[in-house]
Amino acid sequence: MQIEKITIFGGYDKEGKKGNFEKVDILAGQKIGIVGPTGSGKSQLLYDIEKLAYGETKTKRKILINDEIPEKELKLDPIKKIIGYLTQHMNFMTDTSVHNFLKTHIETRGKRQTKEQIENLIEKIIEDANTITGEKIKKSTNLLILSGGQSRALMVADLAYISESPIILIDEIENAGIKIKNALELLVKKEKIIFLVTHDPILALDTDKRFAMKNGAIKEVIHTSIKEKGIANYLSWINDYLLDVREEVREGKQVEELKLICSPMGK
Amino acid sequence: MKIIIFGGTPGSGKTSIIKYVVGELKGLKIHYAKFDVLSSDDDKRIKEKFDISTEVKISGELCPDHYAALEIPKIIEKHKDKDIIIIETAGLCLRCSPYIKDSLAINVLNILAGKPEGYGPLLRDADLVAVTKGDLISQAEREIFRAEVLKVNKNTSLIEANGLTGEGAIDIADAIKKSPEIKEKMVLRHSMPTAVCGYCYGNKIIDSEETLKRYHLGKELKARIPNLNCGKCGFKACNEFIRAVLDGEVNENKCPYLKKEGEK
Repeated sequence: MQIEKITIFGGYDKEGKKGNFEKVDILAGQKIGIVGPTGSGKSQLLYDIEKLAYGETKTKRKILINDEIPEKELKLDPIKKIIGYLTQHMNFMTDTSVHNFLKTHIETRGKRQTKEQIENLIEKIIEDANTITGEKIKKSTNLLILSGGQSRALMVADLAYISESPIILIDEIENAGIKIKNALELLVKKEKIIFLVTHDPILALDTDKRFAMKNGAIKEVIHTSIKEKGIANYLSWINDYLLDVREEVREGKQVEELKLICSPMGK
Repeated sequence: MKIIIFGGTPGSGKTSIIKYVVGELKGLKIHYAKFDVLSSDDDKRIKEKFDISTEVKISGELCPDHYAALEIPKIIEKHKDKDIIIIETAGLCLRCSPYIKDSLAINVLNILAGKPEGYGPLLRDADLVAVTKGDLISQAEREIFRAEVLKVNKNTSLIEANGLTGEGAIDIADAIKKSPEIKEKMVLRHSMPTAVCGYCYGNKIIDSEETLKRYHLGKELKARIPNLNCGKCGFKACNEFIRAVLDGEVNENKCPYLKKEGEK
């Protein structure tokens, strides 16, 4: 299913008061941050989106897809389900190689593809996953021995290429040891809509909009300024540098160079 | 009256899910019965939270599915005034399923507990599968798991549920509201192991007279076959053969050692 637009209507906060905005539109390829203290309603918002709520949840929030009320089938039929989820707690549990795992998943999706197409897709997924993590993933590696960062990177690349969910919900994955900005770029490139619960400034300031949550409702929709995006880029550069040095240390190298200069707008 | 049966292996999250589902069924008269093999205090916990009538049935030495089938008519008799009876059963050996035709059969399935093809009628005969603990594994594996569940039971609806957050409870409650009322004669979806009583000769009708009738028929036939479990009739055991004869699937002459009626 092609999703061009999601519309979220305000809903009510914990005291039953109406939130102070009417509705917000989100377009394909946009990143939306969800910020706010514990208990402010971030998870409930993700839940409402995941459910494609239409007034039946406790916030009475309503969500439209392409200006229409989503069909019930979209919520229940696994093949049509349009929401992908990625959280910090997720692990792989299948005892098989990365290659076999991806192959099974591609076949599960039921697309008729030649052996060669499948092999090429697997190569591409691993290649892109390796731009997200510092430690290289190999085809033959067993899924269960992947590190936290490698697992997360593979999950992101898999979400981008195989799980065709056009909407992706990401719940606090900032500390997972991955180049998170590359990860998001990979998903956005695929025209996905991303909702991202985060307190990490690199992520929150690199979105198109962010929802500031309070007392169960969306209190404000903040449009990310150019300046904020610049700050996000700069912080991201520092983060990537940190990961690079970490890799050098991991590989038993002497760290030779201190990088001081960077372009604030990044590459 | 609707009968809702939640079946699932221990630790799959049945009770936690049921708590959220009961919360979504406000205004309906509900009775909750939990079947367990050893012990349980889930009845007290649910009563405390929702102030509905609850009870626990411990099967002890009996097969829990046999016990449930024997007890369910009594429970219904006592709770005729209720709209919904929720039956939760654990301790299943996966040979059977506790589901009754015309009930809503819900299998709570822990995604971390192995491959769907390892489950028999518990999964295969369910109207609805509530997959739990999916928040702990990747989207990719959840999709593979769903495909595997649908391979085992292609007619089921699959709901991702979470006993901690209550995810999926609204959808389960919806399915409950839309489920059919039970009819006069309740029939199990899957027969129980054939062994010593009427049910054990494959009776599926929940009714003590029917069970007794079946028992006598089975006993009569059993007296005329040698109980060698030789397998020449095509069945693994004589009792399974007796069940098939009584269900009309096979002629009793299939047993090469069958004694005629009255023959010593």
